[in-house]
Amino acid sequence: MLEVELCSLKMKNPMMLASGILGSHASSLIRISKHAGAVVAKSVGLEAREGYKNPVVINYAHGLINAVGLSSPGARAFAEKLNSFKTEGRCPLIVSVFASTPEEFASLTSFFPMADAFELNLSCPHAENAGMAVGSNPELVREIVAEVKRSTEKPVFAKLSPNVLDIVEIGKAAEEGGVDAVVAVNTVRGMSIDITSRKPKLSNISGGVSGEAIKPIALKCVWDLYKELEIPVIGVGGITTWKDVVEFILAGATAVQIGSALFYSYRMLYSLMESLRAYTRQTGESLAELVGKAHE
Amino acid sequence: MYCVKVEKVVRHNKDTATLIFDSILPSYPGQFVMLNLFGYEEIPLSLSSPRSITVKAVGETTKALVNVNPGAIVGIKGPSGNPFTPTDTKALLVAGGIGIAPLLYLHDYLIAEGANVHVLYGARTADELVCLERLKSYEVATDDGSKGFYGSVVELAELKPLRKYERIYACGPEPMLRAFHRLLKERRLLDKAEFSLERLMRCGMGVCGSCVLPEGFRVCVEGPVFNAAKLEW
Repeated sequence: MLEVELCSLKMKNPMMLASGILGSHASSLIRISKHAGAVVAKSVGLEAREGYKNPVVINYAHGLINAVGLSSPGARAFAEKLNSFKTEGRCPLIVSVFASTPEEFASLTSFFPMADAFELNLSCPHAENAGMAVGSNPELVREIVAEVKRSTEKPVFAKLSPNVLDIVEIGKAAEEGGVDAVVAVNTVRGMSIDITSRKPKLSNISGGVSGEAIKPIALKCVWDLYKELEIPVIGVGGITTWKDVVEFILAGATAVQIGSALFYSYRMLYSLMESLRAYTRQTGESLAELVGKAHE
Repeated sequence: MYCVKVEKVVRHNKDTATLIFDSILPSYPGQFVMLNLFGYEEIPLSLSSPRSITVKAVGETTKALVNVNPGAIVGIKGPSGNPFTPTDTKALLVAGGIGIAPLLYLHDYLIAEGANVHVLYGARTADELVCLERLKSYEVATDDGSKGFYGSVVELAELKPLRKYERIYACGPEPMLRAFHRLLKERRLLDKAEFSLERLMRCGMGVCGSCVLPEGFRVCVEGPVFNAAKLEW
């Protein structure tokens, strides 16, 4: 009742681990893969990158704010780390990539033969010349997607930012470029200030807000994208309970991604899966049948 | 994150100091805090008592911390992580270098619980051994033989009847812990032992994945204290 098929990926449930959460090591991805429909590894670029100085993540009453700064060991080293997922992973592996140009994006796919699909990070809100900086321009998004699609036969997803005037315009550009699905949304720009030291809490001053606070924002993006696009939408942003998962599916998400909620428990996906199973048993409908139902 | 004031700084030697805060952090021995020295970095540090950290200058931030002036305000996340499992019987504490920090807290806690505590404490030189006055029963080892046993703390532990201790707790540099792990494995005592580990940490709250071990555990949540039998070393 929970199984979904997303662009030829067979998933045991619609819940994917969102990029950037526990995704730097194969060991944590393998552990989470036991209960996840798919896992997305942390975004990787061509070269190694330090990221920002600590503090890079803070929590507050309604979620997390982070500015990790795309820290990454670089494509070659990360691919070596991910190799063990091939034999021990229990779900599809999606590799998230970031870059500044279409050519650079396309050159990344060949490093990851163990990937079942790719996610394009067009939306990190706090990196120079990457993420949102390239993902806010529809022309460039179209070119990036087209170039990456030429480099690989595997499904390619575009992860979009909510920090734009019109997310549907970016989603359409990605669709025209030939993307297989869109992922909505990445974090919302935000910040926090400590009133004792009177300084911003993050070393980068501002970062991206995730967690429960952004759920209504993300849900509206999914709703709009589902209405205007032909390709599947993957919903992400603040999903914490099984009801949130159902809401996103009703809004039009074929699958969802969960990240910040793992703050509460490593076994979050297991507990959501059990609750969703009970829900489908009660309604007698599979989750796949519910996609976009709220639009009818 | 919240702020505490550094009330007092006790300098132990040229590069190690204990920073005592103006308030008690509700915690258990073995837990750590993410401490943000504003203008520097936020770093994970084990508590050396409910209201102190004991830190050695190894990088830019720790160097600044050791030289911090009383009255300074620092940011704190935590205390968090899994603490040591206490005992009120016979306990052996094995420390290497600045690994003494969490064991100092544990030492005081176990004694208050009525345990019989013995400490084996190794460092490179006599000068690097700190807070000995806080320890009730101890033996030291130095790499250069300048004090106590001439050799490593693991070599010293090898000479001891480890089996007679109900619980064994260790913290120190990873090569030392790995050597001690081998010794405990040979003597089939791994499940009696708990190790406090150190890793580069970013978020310190279980989401970023920086401190994940090959076994899949996060040092910041499932650790920093692990049962030695769970480590595939």
